Amino acid sequence: MENILECRNLVKFYPNCLALNTVNLAVPKGRIIGLLGPNGSGKTTIIKLANGLITPSSGQILINGMEPGVETKKIVSYLPERTYLNDWMTVNNMIDFFSDFYENFNRHKAYDMLQRLGVNPTQRLKTMSKGTKEKVQLILVMSREAELYLLDEPIGGVDPAARDYILDTIISNYSENATIIISTHLIADVEKVLDEVIFINQGSIVLTSTVDDIREKENKSVDALFREVFRC
Amino acid sequence: MLGKLLKYEFKATGRTFLPMYALLIAFALLNKIFITINADYLRIPQVIAMVGFVVIIAGISVMTLIVTIQRFNKNLLTDEGYLSFTLPVKTHTHIDCKMIVSAVWCLASFIMSAISIFILALDQSTLYKTRRFFEDIGSTLNQLGPGAYLIILECILFVAVALLASITNIYAAITVGNLSSKHKLLAGLGAYFGFGMVQQIVVSILMTVFFSGFDNYMEYLTTAGAWEQMRAVQLGLLVMLLYTAVFGAIFYFLTEWLLRKKLNLE
Repeated sequence: MENILECRNLVKFYPNCLALNTVNLAVPKGRIIGLLGPNGSGKTTIIKLANGLITPSSGQILINGMEPGVETKKIVSYLPERTYLNDWMTVNNMIDFFSDFYENFNRHKAYDMLQRLGVNPTQRLKTMSKGTKEKVQLILVMSREAELYLLDEPIGGVDPAARDYILDTIISNYSENATIIISTHLIADVEKVLDEVIFINQGSIVLTSTVDDIREKENKSVDALFREVFRC
Repeated sequence: MLGKLLKYEFKATGRTFLPMYALLIAFALLNKIFITINADYLRIPQVIAMVGFVVIIAGISVMTLIVTIQRFNKNLLTDEGYLSFTLPVKTHTHIDCKMIVSAVWCLASFIMSAISIFILALDQSTLYKTRRFFEDIGSTLNQLGPGAYLIILECILFVAVALLASITNIYAAITVGNLSSKHKLLAGLGAYFGFGMVQQIVVSILMTVFFSGFDNYMEYLTTAGAWEQMRAVQLGLLVMLLYTAVFGAIFYFLTEWLLRKKLNLE
C-alpha cells in the first residue's frame, strides 16, 4: 500500500537543540493516527516539516511520494497550533479566501459547521475569543476535502462540549482515502477516534501500534499506556 | 494564482492607504478653501490645516515604506506565514505579489501627493505655467529628435527598475535577518547596511578600473557636439539601468532561494 506520509532518516536541528533524531516513519492511507508525546517531543516539528514551513537538516519527508511543495499543499489540510488568520477579516472573508485558493474547499460544509457551533460568519476575527478563533480555524481546515489532514493540538483551546462535536466532525468528514494525523497530549479525549498511535519522545519514535493491538495485547487504554511509557 | 494573491494583498493594504489618500485630498481642499477666502479671522485654523497637510504628506511617504516592510515580514514570516506558505502557491509568486503591490502603492502615493499639491497651487497662472512647461518639453524633444525620446524611455525604465530593486533589497534584508534566531530586527538592519556597503565597494572597483577612460571621455565630451553628448547620456543611463537591474535581480533571487530552501518559521 502506498504511504501518504513518509520520513526517511529525518533529522532536524534547532539552534542548541536536536528536535528530531533520525526519524523513520511510514503512514499508510485511510487511517486516523494519533501523534502522541509529551511537550517538546517533536510532534509539531514533524508536522511543520510536512508542510514545508521548516526545512529538514538532513533526511527526507515525503507526502504522497513528493517533497513538500505546491502539489503537496493542494492535498494537505493543516491546522497549526497557533492562529494564523488575518484578524481584520470576517469569517465570510476567510471562507472566500479558502475557496479561492483551495480547489477542494467545500463552502457548504463550512457554513454548516459554523451554524452548528454557533459562530456568526459576519463577525470579525479580531473580536473573537481565542477558543472561537480556534473553532473557525478547525472548521476551515476540516471543510477541505483533503487527502491528508495534519491537526496540531486541534482541541487544546476549546471547551469539552465543543471537543466532542469537533471529534465527531473529524470522523464524519473523513473519507475512505483520507488520512488524519492528530497531534495532542489530551489522549483520553481523542483515544476513541484513533486507529493507530505513534508515540514520540525527545525526537525519536518510541512506539507505533494500532489501538486494537494495545487494547488486546497490553490490555490497557492508550491513555494508560502513555502514562506508563512517559512516566516522569 | 498571482491574480488571487494580488486581490487579497490589495485588499489588505488598501485598508491603510485609501483612507489616508482621502484624508490627504480632504486636507488639500480645506487648505485651498482657506487660501481662497484668505481672511484674517481664519489665520489660526489656516495654519493648523496647513501643518496637518504637511504631516499627512510626510506620513504617507513613511507609511509606504513601513507597509512594504511590514506586509512582507508579517504576512510571510510571522504567524500569518503559516497560512501563506501552506497555500498551493510557488514561493516566487508570493514575492512577485508583494513587490508589485508595494510598487503600485509607492507610485499611487507619489501621484496622490502630486495631485494634492496641484490642488493647492491651482489657479489661472499655474494652469498656464503647467501647460507651457509641457509644451516646452515637447518642443525641446522635437528639436533633439528620436535620441531624446530614448533618453526619456531610459529614465522611465530606470525609475521603475530602481523602485523594484529597492523593494527587493528590503525583502532580501528582512529574509536574511530572519535567519537569525534571536535578533531578527538587528540582523535585518545589519544585512541592509551590509548590502549597501557591498554595492559601494562594487561601484568603487568599477570606477577604479574604468576611471582613466571615464575621465578622458568626460574631457572629450565638453568639446564634443550635441549628438555625441546625447549618445553619452544614453550610454550613461543604460549603464545605471543595467547596474540597478543586476543588483535588483540578485536581491530577488537571494530572497526566493532563502524562502524556498532555508525557511524556518518559528
